[in-house]
Amino acid sequence: MDHDEAQVRMQEIQRIMERATLWTILPGMSAIVGGVMVLAGCLVSCLMFRSIKSPHFAMIDFASLLELSLNAQIAFCVMWFLIGTGGIGAEIHFAQVQAKKQGIAPKGRSAKLAFYSLTPGVIIAMVLTVKFLVPAELRTHEIQYIAPVWMMLYGTGVYTAGLFSVRAPRILGMVFIAAGVVSIHFFQQYGVVTTGLSFGLFHIAFGLYVIGKRKAGLPR
Amino acid sequence: MTDPIKPDDLDPVIHERARLAIVSALAVAPEMSFNEIKETLGLSDGNLSAHATSLQRAGYIEIAKTFKGRRPHTSLRLTRAGQKAFQDYVETLRKIIKQGK
Repeated sequence: MDHDEAQVRMQEIQRIMERATLWTILPGMSAIVGGVMVLAGCLVSCLMFRSIKSPHFAMIDFASLLELSLNAQIAFCVMWFLIGTGGIGAEIHFAQVQAKKQGIAPKGRSAKLAFYSLTPGVIIAMVLTVKFLVPAELRTHEIQYIAPVWMMLYGTGVYTAGLFSVRAPRILGMVFIAAGVVSIHFFQQYGVVTTGLSFGLFHIAFGLYVIGKRKAGLPR
Repeated sequence: MTDPIKPDDLDPVIHERARLAIVSALAVAPEMSFNEIKETLGLSDGNLSAHATSLQRAGYIEIAKTFKGRRPHTSLRLTRAGQKAFQDYVETLRKIIKQGK
């Protein structure tokens, strides 16, 4: 076997290994779209909370929701629900486009693994969100826990999905878990900022990384 | 100075294209079903079955036949010997590429 043939073989191996991992259908664009949607949601949340003067961080505290009118509270919840479903919708859409581009069945192994990995965490986060939001009397601490709980459970799902892929999603998952742990202990009253930082900026950074790495070749 | 690569240095079981593809896919996925490999590599049932049997005979993969509900389910997994053979093969390719530079 000569040098050129060996190189062709190595490229074939690389291509097949890529196709066998989740990385192949990871859509960088959906992470960016999701991140921008979250940042927009954080901005709207700040605008909704801006009339509340006390405490001084009320504008960036999700617990300020308690001070809004019932209609505003409903609008707030609907907005975040739409951001969540919109983000998931974008993820599915772009993953299907990416899978088609790579010549892989959109509901193939990688898509199933991603779905099975993320679903338990997202379901638990949804159950806890409802539990925190619908008691007889809304409590500040419980509302403040929603964002960190989502960060930790979403991070767990992303980390698990990353076990079937390259290192990058695992790192993103760990970063989300770490951000959730830190914010539930020290920054729970700054939920709008930590949400914007994690679900917003982390996703945008990850999306740019995926796009950049795909252009450069096989990621690690 | 490194030794020149001899034709025997490349494992003939893995050197075949389809078998190399199967082993490469299993090197990054802990376990894949028959259909998943077929779909990922674009192989026909007969082709995949024949090559998988060759790899199993060489001790490079394990084939487990079970049932999922009433439907038969075949899954493939790389053995330690298979992992070692794949690593050695890739290492040999690297040496050839390096020597040719």
